[in-house]
Amino acid sequence: MKIVYWGLLFLIICQFSYAQNDASRLSGSLEANGNFFMEDSLRKAYGTPQYDHQLYGAEAWLQLNYSNWGFDVGLRFDLYNNSNLPNPQGSDSGVGIGRWYIKKSIHKLGISAGYLYDQIGSGIIFRAYEARSLFIDNALYGLRLTYDLTDDWRLKVFTGQQKRVIFSENPIFDTYPSIINGGSIDGFFTGDEDSKWSMAPGFGVINRTLDDETMNGLVSNIAATYHVNDSIGLKYNVYAFSLYNTLTFGKFSWYVEGAYKTAEQYFDPDALKTRKDMPSETTSGKLVFNDGSVLYTSLSYANKGFGVTVEAKRTERFKLKTDPNAPLNNGAIGFIPPMSRVNTYRLTARYQPATQELGEWAFQGDFTYAPNRKLRFNVNVSHIRGLNNPTYDYTLLRDTALFYNEIYTEVTYKIKRKWQFIGGVQFQQYNQDLYEVKPGAPIVETVTPYIDVLYKFDRKKSLRIEAQFMDTQQDYGSWLFGLAAFAIAPHWTFTVSDMYNINPNPGKIEIPEDKNGKKLKLHYPRFDIFYAFKGNRFSLSYVKQVDGIICTGGICRYEPAFSGIKLTVNSTF
Amino acid sequence: MPVIPCLSCDTEEPPPPIPQDRKVLIEEFTGVRCVNCPAGSAEIESLLFNYGEQLIAISIHAGFYANPYPESQYDFSTPEGDNLENFLGIPIGYPTSVINRKLFSTESDLQLEGTISWAGHIAQEVLIEPKINIEIENEWDSNTRKLTINIAGETVEPIDEKVRLTIFIIESGIKDTQLTPSGKDNDYVHKHVLRKAITAYNGDEVASSLDVWDLIDEEYSYTIPSGWDADNCVVVAFFHNGSTNKEILQAAEKHVTP
Repeated sequence: MKIVYWGLLFLIICQFSYAQNDASRLSGSLEANGNFFMEDSLRKAYGTPQYDHQLYGAEAWLQLNYSNWGFDVGLRFDLYNNSNLPNPQGSDSGVGIGRWYIKKSIHKLGISAGYLYDQIGSGIIFRAYEARSLFIDNALYGLRLTYDLTDDWRLKVFTGQQKRVIFSENPIFDTYPSIINGGSIDGFFTGDEDSKWSMAPGFGVINRTLDDETMNGLVSNIAATYHVNDSIGLKYNVYAFSLYNTLTFGKFSWYVEGAYKTAEQYFDPDALKTRKDMPSETTSGKLVFNDGSVLYTSLSYANKGFGVTVEAKRTERFKLKTDPNAPLNNGAIGFIPPMSRVNTYRLTARYQPATQELGEWAFQGDFTYAPNRKLRFNVNVSHIRGLNNPTYDYTLLRDTALFYNEIYTEVTYKIKRKWQFIGGVQFQQYNQDLYEVKPGAPIVETVTPYIDVLYKFDRKKSLRIEAQFMDTQQDYGSWLFGLAAFAIAPHWTFTVSDMYNINPNPGKIEIPEDKNGKKLKLHYPRFDIFYAFKGNRFSLSYVKQVDGIICTGGICRYEPAFSGIKLTVNSTF
Repeated sequence: MPVIPCLSCDTEEPPPPIPQDRKVLIEEFTGVRCVNCPAGSAEIESLLFNYGEQLIAISIHAGFYANPYPESQYDFSTPEGDNLENFLGIPIGYPTSVINRKLFSTESDLQLEGTISWAGHIAQEVLIEPKINIEIENEWDSNTRKLTINIAGETVEPIDEKVRLTIFIIESGIKDTQLTPSGKDNDYVHKHVLRKAITAYNGDEVASSLDVWDLIDEEYSYTIPSGWDADNCVVVAFFHNGSTNKEILQAAEKHVTP
């Protein structure tokens, strides 16, 4: 009922003021997904409540924003019905006001309250954001104040608690009990009018204070299960600092950020723990007490058809959470930038490296050359490995191993306004043991040539064909992917695609076999219809999808196989 | 003879029964294909070492990770285990456990993924006096392998809720394949494995409400399969809420064989 009251109040205010004041503005967006599940045990789409008996699941987010009298207010209605988004193996239902906010500027002072999204610098020490496909929404529920010291310098402070979702309660939205507060100062300065340089420096600080109950739980955990050799001190407070700057000089741009986190307790899944009941034996995973750091830099140059960006990042023991008990991606306070290309083609995006908070060296280079409007070359190289730190006393894996290598090449060629060809090859080495916690799994090595051809029949009709072939001996084996998309502008698009396990790995247990023990070569087809009209976009899809990992910005999670029909609606108004 | 008024002869209610030491139940969800689960099981052994008889552990093999390997001798998954996972909530990942089936104020779910929080919640729960005492008596016939289980309950406080009784049989000391961080271990010793629910997996209702001094007396029987080692089998029984939540009121365990 509270949702109804909130919604009605919001609409009444909007309606009244809309009638009274032409300066008011109401806008919003809707994202809604409906999934109809059809069991397919051959493709491992089974065994969850949706496939067993529910047959249907949905998620929706309706955002309303209203501006008037110098205020900005917003409300978002979140809905989960038999949804497998929060937990791919489970089913969760609940509705509620997933976000509300109020913003007001008074001269140089900006005031924001409610569920806030924001970050400091690149987000390493603090980033409150949402990524719906990963069920990440770590908004800060609190208060933020900004003050414009000058036109070029802004001070920001905030305090609050991180949002979390509890489906077993009503309302489903709650907060972690720990308190997060912090601030930053950001500026900009340049030389005289003719100067070619500018700088945008900044400094930020974050503090997280644990609540008593969580601390008491940590104390009990150590007292009950830790051998004296593994005992650590505990701290309520952790502080993280970040210093960053963007220097622009002519066609160069150079971003550098250094972050440091004070020593605190966090869970290290690889640290060896002496068993209290059997001190001669050890297990993996325990609380450790360490400080941490991240160094990140990115240098770019762009000039007349030529662009190059090189990045480097060193991460060591930088796990910063609002609650050390929060599993997987939950409870993260910061966001460490990924260091690999965001690939968009089905097969080139199949293996993506998740950011390793506890330690990695990462490098990336991106080179683009476009001699004319018709032709463009791009090469992207990524290399990620362990820190090779001899002071670590456990596991070789995180210490020295190769994590990820990628060479991605792309050529784009346009002929008049009729044809566009995109093609290239991707080479990958992917440490599946590390990224997917599969001990003993070999490095997945892939070679994936691809081509993407677009032909425009006329101003309205076009046809796009994609083809990719992933050659690998590991994991599922080799894949062939094909897609055809026919578009009738401005409204309709029809696509058909298939991902075919053309040469399955005989050692992969998950691939089913025929009666002769031979691995089945399975197809994973997909049919889509898209319709767009003004601010609305609808899609209806029949999908057979293999399980895998999906990632957004280096944050990844397991995505189970899917078989069924998807209906999505996206609308902006 | 004068009548001497008895100033202290008013009928007084007898004091309530003395509550037993609280016994906390930890239900671990696990599987032979779960690489991190041996760490979870080792954590439980450390907790048992620390809390002794006040902690009772059950390992429930359920879900995808419980599918046996081709080289496995046994399939530890059970229909009741899968039902329990749906009943208590499907976890995001393993290892995970449910402690006294209680939703703790700092948690978002009954399932407690990861091991960090287990000890703290157990430490809280062992301090809470039970509202009902429970005793188990087993009669074991080694010739017929018939087990007769007698459960006696006695309330210490009124319970204004439905009360359910669940009885499990668990077995320890089973050597079979388990995935570990070092690879597959074919000689891994599985402990506290849920073998059978004698009652319904979510319990049998034994009362709609209870007053102090109310007694519960239930008897069940079951024939232990020949493939199980009865000397390593234990009966675990517990009373739990059957209305507003699933919280366990008091648990007990007793070996099948004397």
